[in-house]
Amino acid sequence: MHSEVITANLDYLLLGSWPQGQLGGMALTLLMGLAAAALASVLGIAAGVGLVMGRPAWRRLLGVACGTLRAIPVVMLIFWCYFLLPVLFGVDVPGTLTVIAALALIGGAFLAQTVQAGIDAAPAGQWQAGLALGFTRWQVLRWLILPPALRMMLPSFVNQWVSLLKDTSLAYVVGVAELTFVAAQVNNREQVYPLEVFAFIALCYLLLCSLLAWAGRRLGRSPQQA
Amino acid sequence: MKSKLILALLLAAGANSAFADRIDDIKKDGVLRVAAFDSNPPFGFLDAQTRQINGLDVDVARHIASKLGVKLELVPTNPANRIPLLVSGKADLIAANFTVTPDRAKQVDFSLPYFASGQQFIARKGSLQKPDQLAGLRVGADKGTTQEITLRDKYPATKVVSYDDTPLAFAALRNGNVNAITQDGSKLAALLANAPDKDKFEIAPFTLTREYQAIGLPKGEARLQKLVNDVLLSLEKNGEAQKIYDRWFGPSTKAPLPRDFKIGDKV
Repeated sequence: MHSEVITANLDYLLLGSWPQGQLGGMALTLLMGLAAAALASVLGIAAGVGLVMGRPAWRRLLGVACGTLRAIPVVMLIFWCYFLLPVLFGVDVPGTLTVIAALALIGGAFLAQTVQAGIDAAPAGQWQAGLALGFTRWQVLRWLILPPALRMMLPSFVNQWVSLLKDTSLAYVVGVAELTFVAAQVNNREQVYPLEVFAFIALCYLLLCSLLAWAGRRLGRSPQQA
Repeated sequence: MKSKLILALLLAAGANSAFADRIDDIKKDGVLRVAAFDSNPPFGFLDAQTRQINGLDVDVARHIASKLGVKLELVPTNPANRIPLLVSGKADLIAANFTVTPDRAKQVDFSLPYFASGQQFIARKGSLQKPDQLAGLRVGADKGTTQEITLRDKYPATKVVSYDDTPLAFAALRNGNVNAITQDGSKLAALLANAPDKDKFEIAPFTLTREYQAIGLPKGEARLQKLVNDVLLSLEKNGEAQKIYDRWFGPSTKAPLPRDFKIGDKV
């Protein structure tokens, strides 16, 4: 192993050409992953609630939209948004935002199913009890059903977050300088240290994903345990 | 495949109408966005010291930007996504070892060529001496390059394996995944010069084609095309073109290559 190739390029692998140029490397991977995870969670909860509470027509529409998004490979969605949107609608979306949006949409579509299933799993008696106490349907959902259901869903959410963080590596198709992309640049210049470069990258992803999983577990602790 | 599909869609959507007279937009924005390689020394690669993209193509692009009086912004690209970048308006020019072909001319315009080379091969020493031997070999090529197309069209008995870029193909050759790799001779020379185990390999002693590399422009940008051509011709006239060439292929470089083409030469 030749660790010099890592130490000599460490700042580039971690931060990209920042502060002279744009932020890249592991920092950009983390930021894109967090942004995509946060957006996907909001979208997923909104769509999941919609799938349970919406009118039948809305539920069908949402179901079709989620099904379509789940069926598109992420890399295709990124490629299409990046190269096709400017031509069709004249909007020029920067690469980083394209990737975050594509990941959030697809992650949201997956999470919608989790949320729907989580809400459906609540016993009918809870709904009836809430309604009998004079709550509206939405109040029952907000105060009785969602708090325990969301905690039950948390492992699935963490799964999705970790998966999104790793999927940021697909940003290479549109030239966003995230971790995998800058590693390929360094590797292609040095040529002879692929093992070192990509082993280091694997460690970085392991670290990021473990941190995310740890943070997710902390989030799930009940107030008494915290 | 994917990029071909996208291209077809882009073209169907009438990509060119939306961005008329780019030169005014460039001047207004104060930025010239040029798609350049980030993994193909010495044409475009990530400089170890500055952490910026540098290379022969970048030197040429720098002169075009300074003629326009604007800042140069490099958009990292690879052989497969450079045309989509240009056609979708994400880049104003391609300066990425971009070979002139009639097929590409349907999608983009070209400047005058500023570099010439030919399709060659790297293989293990003594294993590839003449084109007939290509039959039955597994040959690595860069996705979306003219070399890949030539091999598939003219050498159907050769198994072509496509890679994202040349260093990756070379890694495959080293590992024994392919028997040879193909690219412009100039690029192969530079690649081999940097390899630690270069004694085991050689550039096969034949050239399949003569190819010319030029700046790629969006379709129908006559003013931009004229400006780029004027810059290229003046680089040759004031000796700057020779200086740029010598910086990357001159006698003092790792992969010296005699210059057999001048900008403005008949092609």
